[in-house]
Amino acid sequence: MLLDYDRLGWLKVALLAFTALAAAFLLLPVIFIVLLSFGSSRWLAFPPPGWTLRWYQELFADPSWIEAALTSARIATTTAILAVVIGLLASFALVRGQFRGREVLRGLLLTPMVLPVVVFAIAIYAFFLRLGLGGTTIGFVIAHTVLALPFAMIPIATALEGFDKSIEDAAIVCGASPLEAKLRITLPSIRIGVFSAAIFSFLASWDEVVVAIFMASPTLQTLPVKIWGSLRSDLTPVIAAASSLLVALTLALMIVTALLRRKLQT
Amino acid sequence: MTQLFLSIRKLRKAFGAFTAVHDVTLDIPKGEFLTFLGPSGSGKSTTLYAIAGFQDPTSGDVLLQGKSLLSVPSHKRNIGMVFQRYTLFPHLSVAENVAFPLRVRRRPEADVKRKVADMLSLVRLESFAERLPAALSGGQQQRVALARALAYDPPILLMDEPLSALDKKLREEIQAEIRRIHRETGVTVLYVTHDQEEALHLSDRIALFRDGRIEQIGTGEDLYLRPATEFVAGFIGNSNFLAAEHLESENGTASVRLADGSIVKGVKATHKLERGQKARLMVRPEAFRMRPVEGNASLTVEIVDMAFFGDRRRVVVRTGWGDEIDARPISDSTDRSNVGAVAGRQIFFDPAAAFLFPAEQGA
Repeated sequence: MLLDYDRLGWLKVALLAFTALAAAFLLLPVIFIVLLSFGSSRWLAFPPPGWTLRWYQELFADPSWIEAALTSARIATTTAILAVVIGLLASFALVRGQFRGREVLRGLLLTPMVLPVVVFAIAIYAFFLRLGLGGTTIGFVIAHTVLALPFAMIPIATALEGFDKSIEDAAIVCGASPLEAKLRITLPSIRIGVFSAAIFSFLASWDEVVVAIFMASPTLQTLPVKIWGSLRSDLTPVIAAASSLLVALTLALMIVTALLRRKLQT
Repeated sequence: MTQLFLSIRKLRKAFGAFTAVHDVTLDIPKGEFLTFLGPSGSGKSTTLYAIAGFQDPTSGDVLLQGKSLLSVPSHKRNIGMVFQRYTLFPHLSVAENVAFPLRVRRRPEADVKRKVADMLSLVRLESFAERLPAALSGGQQQRVALARALAYDPPILLMDEPLSALDKKLREEIQAEIRRIHRETGVTVLYVTHDQEEALHLSDRIALFRDGRIEQIGTGEDLYLRPATEFVAGFIGNSNFLAAEHLESENGTASVRLADGSIVKGVKATHKLERGQKARLMVRPEAFRMRPVEGNASLTVEIVDMAFFGDRRRVVVRTGWGDEIDARPISDSTDRSNVGAVAGRQIFFDPAAAFLFPAEQGA
């Protein structure tokens, strides 16, 4: 190999230092937020003069925060279910199908990943206003499902490509109808991809803020929107506490995914 | 006439302008082990897939006991199949793989248990029941696939090059297993392979495919000892082809002239040939002798290479006009010929063991 880690010599040190720097650059803000959420200063001062759980108490005492979190969870869960179902069907069509315009369809379904979010947000905002879907849960779910679809489709399509169709054919010869063969044999065989798809699309919705700002109404706010709104009105450490919880759930889900993958692959 | 069991009637499969199977017609009696042999792309797998229901034929019919199978979807054909690739269900144990066809048929649990045990003992993998497929070797996986395909007592078992991914020794081992299982179950087997030794080892009859048609069908002996065409002679066993010109035929024997002008008389004539027509004389390697025998034809050759293989020698010789011949004469302790010795040595063969075919276009 051109770049063999074991043969880099002194460059190894430089590479490690650079990697550490990049990791620190990515992680430090998150660590600061978490530290600030436990700090006793009302003004988000660093280093904190003392430590407290007060902001978490305030967070859980305020029904508007709880409601925002529940709204986020509800929308993200629905989005994940829809994105996985649609992603599964689309993957079968794209991986197995032989039809004109297949590549165009694949590109179209992956567009939300490359399209600037704000462009998508404005477009869907204007469109949903006309349909009367602005500020509704359904509107939220539809918008987030479109955004989450690429994240659901990529792992499922990859898993399906790695699955030998002869195995499904074998199930059919054994007497299973094509649908039964897919449900009892193909689906369990690609379950790692399906789980990944569910978690990625949940997260795509859970921490999405741009589209959510456009879709939100005073009565329907997701957690990121609530954080964003509070940040502008009063700069309270409760925001840091809410952000820390957001990060904690994301982290927990990523760990679950990693563990599941390891368990299922052995 | 044997009882009508499986019949393939004028089966044709075209993919656009390319016709993969040309009007194949076949009758397969119950209990037979029939092999579709042929090079890749000869239509043997396509024919098998049409029987399984994975390919809709362009025209023609497949009948089982007089009833057409074509309108029956694959999962209701009740056919067993072992695939070329490993197709065990990766998330199910060996026992659950074998049980799968019984479970989709909603058989009672007690029946399933008994049948799975029977099948695993048939393929001698009883102790592997709880393993996952990933923990099995390729040969074991194909044996489980065989058990799964036979678990519901299908009238027909299709096998699509099931051993092609295995190494030679394992292949021979499992061939013996397949023979035994065929004997014990009496199931009708259609087996696809491109390996002629495998076909000869396993089959009651062999259908040799070429370019979507059956070139010849018969027992291994028929194909080897009485090849209908040059292609069959070349595909089954080793063969030497010598360019020849047909002189005359009489009473089933023919005379030909070889490239050096020498004349061979008494060759078996199974094809109708014109006087002076270009032909090809085929002689099996084992038909050659190093010393003259009454009535044998002789060739003047130069010995290129000679090796001793116990019961036989392998002698590579070159004829005066440059053709190389691979000869496998029986070893003879008094024969002390040396390589490269004298040009102008003679080797001999029985003309009645040689075959004369018309030269093919472009051949």
